[in-house]
Amino acid sequence: MNTHSKTRALAIIKTWGTLMGFLLLLIVFSTLRPDVFPSGRNMRNIIEQVATLAIVASGVTVVMITGDFDLSVGAIASLVGVVAALLMKSGMSTLMSILLALALGTSAGLLNGLIIAYGGLSAFVGTLATMTAYGGVALLISKGTTIFALPENFKVLGQGSLSLLPVSVLIMAFTVFVVYLLLEQTTYGRRLYAIGGNEEASFLSGIRTRQVRLIAFGVSGFFASLGGIVLTSRLFSAHPQAGSPFMLNAAAAVFLGMTSFREGEANIMGTLLGVFIIGVMGNGLNILGINTYVQSILTGAIIIFAVLLSSIAKKRQK
Amino acid sequence: MNTGEVLRIEGLKKQYPGVQALKDVDISFSGGEVHGLVGENGAGKSTLIKILAGIVKADEGVFRFDGKESTISSSKDATRHGLSFIHQELNLVNYFNAMENIFLGHTYPRHYGPLVDWKKLREQTRTICDSLSIDLPLEKPVSHLSAVQRAMVAIARAFAVNGRIYFMDEPATALTDVEKEKLFNVIQSLKEQGKTVVYVTHNLDDILRITDRITVMRDGQVVKHSRTSTMTKDSLISAMIGKNLASAFPPKTGTIGKPLMSVENLSNSLLRDISFTLHSGEILGIGGLVGSGRTELLETLFGVRSVTTGTILLDGTPYRPGSPGEAISSGVVLVPEERRKGGLVLSRSINENITLMSLPEVSRFGFLRHTHLRRKALEAGRSVRLKASDYEHHVDTLSGGNQQKVVFAKTVMRIPKVLMLDEPSKGVDVGARFEIYSIIRDLASHGAAIIVVSSDFNEVLGLADRILFIREGGMTSIHDNEGIDQEQYLHYCYGRTHA
Ligand SMILES: Nc1ncnc2c1ncn2[C@@H]1O[C@H](COP(=O)(O)OP(=O)(O)OP(=O)(O)O)[C@@H](O)[C@H]1O
Ligand SMILES: [Mg+2]
Repeated sequence: MNTHSKTRALAIIKTWGTLMGFLLLLIVFSTLRPDVFPSGRNMRNIIEQVATLAIVASGVTVVMITGDFDLSVGAIASLVGVVAALLMKSGMSTLMSILLALALGTSAGLLNGLIIAYGGLSAFVGTLATMTAYGGVALLISKGTTIFALPENFKVLGQGSLSLLPVSVLIMAFTVFVVYLLLEQTTYGRRLYAIGGNEEASFLSGIRTRQVRLIAFGVSGFFASLGGIVLTSRLFSAHPQAGSPFMLNAAAAVFLGMTSFREGEANIMGTLLGVFIIGVMGNGLNILGINTYVQSILTGAIIIFAVLLSSIAKKRQK
Repeated sequence: MNTGEVLRIEGLKKQYPGVQALKDVDISFSGGEVHGLVGENGAGKSTLIKILAGIVKADEGVFRFDGKESTISSSKDATRHGLSFIHQELNLVNYFNAMENIFLGHTYPRHYGPLVDWKKLREQTRTICDSLSIDLPLEKPVSHLSAVQRAMVAIARAFAVNGRIYFMDEPATALTDVEKEKLFNVIQSLKEQGKTVVYVTHNLDDILRITDRITVMRDGQVVKHSRTSTMTKDSLISAMIGKNLASAFPPKTGTIGKPLMSVENLSNSLLRDISFTLHSGEILGIGGLVGSGRTELLETLFGVRSVTTGTILLDGTPYRPGSPGEAISSGVVLVPEERRKGGLVLSRSINENITLMSLPEVSRFGFLRHTHLRRKALEAGRSVRLKASDYEHHVDTLSGGNQQKVVFAKTVMRIPKVLMLDEPSKGVDVGARFEIYSIIRDLASHGAAIIVVSSDFNEVLGLADRILFIREGGMTSIHDNEGIDQEQYLHYCYGRTHA
């Protein structure tokens, strides 16, 4: 290959490699289990399974653009689920309970932002601490048990559907759309990406960098809460640790997303792709009957592979 | 001593997306010479140097070291051939100290097997600093050093290995004359040792003074090559930009108007009792040595540093900005000293960088108006003669001088009341520099007030209506810019009020 077409090929791998990997994954699972995997029912199943993760990860994307990190989303999702469940059981209307719980979760996110952007703690340490604290609150108020017997009308968010479309998937689509607008179409999005690229230059350009970061944590808190509500509705019960897997999976999805479409920057389409890779891996390996421990190992390996591939392509391109 | 040809490059080509940065370049360097490499912004000088450093891969080209053909595919290869570099853009690791930065990528001295011998490292660093006669704080992270000190670290880095050919890409833009002289002394002694120095700059006086031969590049090609003794500044300029330039500075237009900003007894941790009045239409130069508080004064007026005592009136109302954001909304704007540190978001597009300060103007209800934004950015870019193939490209794909124009375009787009410029023409070629000066003059004639800080006193003398001299954070004198010559200027910088 001459240098030109080689550079072109590397550029393609760099931007589309992860997407191609995803398609490959679909093909492999479809060939191995042509009867089960590609069926309409299974596809719907996958989408429903990933909806909550997609909602949470969309929020985490916003935080990670500025180079911050949010480990507390899992704890916030759990806490919000527990609070909503307790409020509903106390006789409050379903809608009111949900709204209050969302407000609480958003405030938890803003508190993260306050501690990190204004208090100067690193995002990692800050959200590690709040994660522990929020998780503790969830355990405390639920007394460590699962809360059942929620009002019937609460089911609609996680299990209902609007004609053919599951409500949870609609919420996911709405979330992705809103975050897309926020990141790509608003001045706020420009400020976020600018801070992620060079915080000092952004500050000298008049951007209130601390405020922007604070809001990002609020957004992340809000979507973690929304994810928590949908999850609680889907399981139709609230468990004080139900949201725990979000912490790592959301971060993994954003990291996978950073390898595609935009080099090295968190972006919403990339995150969505990351979420689907994680979802398809889990589903496909389950169908193949592979042990869950091995599944974890494979998922880890895939993430490393994807990130390596794109960084090698980036280096070679020089 | 080898005074013959030490390196010959033939048929060098490099294509970037959208630009042919180098088209078939032939060039050769000899031992014991200082070789000047000049050309407009984007001519391909830095690309050539980055290829030799093994940072960028050439598409085609042959390298002959002492007549023997060889390849360069990594920085190791470059070191093996005795090539040593000062790159145009500072690439320092911010949280490393000077020593660590100087030896970055070179071998650290070791003892007890693999352990770094810190004592020896410090000694070796001292030796390098002594040979350059500079004094650097060795233990502080370089992010805490001043712009000059950071530039000196980058220079010292080139001397951590014993090279044969030294490539210096705009090494002196952040230096004052004092440090620059030191650098020139070092260059002279390298030359006497039979080594080669390739020197890139837009300062034509320097080029004519220190080089033996000059190669002029334009649009990725060598357009002229001759002995320095046969060239004049004018012939150099016309070779560079393809036409003649009547004078370096555009003539004054407009008149000085009413007071716009008045500063009274301004003090903080770095400044003492500064007072002056800035009028609309006026260009005020700030004279002083590096470290005298020039940058700090601008930063204070821009809200980066806080004011302890003193008052500032802007348009007759009290002005005390708590952050750059507040300063900008009051119409006070700064072009910061180090563009890559404070001026640009390198990983974002040209469009985004130019509009970063003016987001409310290119949006409605917080939503971007993309078409409007692109048009505005293009207008601002054109007004500073930005050379870019596509405004959607990242800023770091631009040549150094064009990056500076992006910073300038960004501030011009705000149509500022008070525009403060810290080293505005750093790395900008003569032609474009003239354009930038014209824009400054134009802004002033439309009623803006301008404050200029520059280490190049010709720039201050060429632009300013008045010059305020400061020393160790205190102001020493303020003069109308009439009949001040170089020597007097320096006197004033040292705090003498009469020449
Ligand atoms: N990484 C890159 N990607 C795309 N284009 C690039 C890249 N680096 C440089 N270029 C382009 O190559 C051309 C030559 O750039 P180069 O940096 O060599 O110019 P220069 O002569 O050093 O200019 P200056 O005097 O401004 O430093 C420019 O048009 C520039 O935009
Ligand atoms: Mg250059």
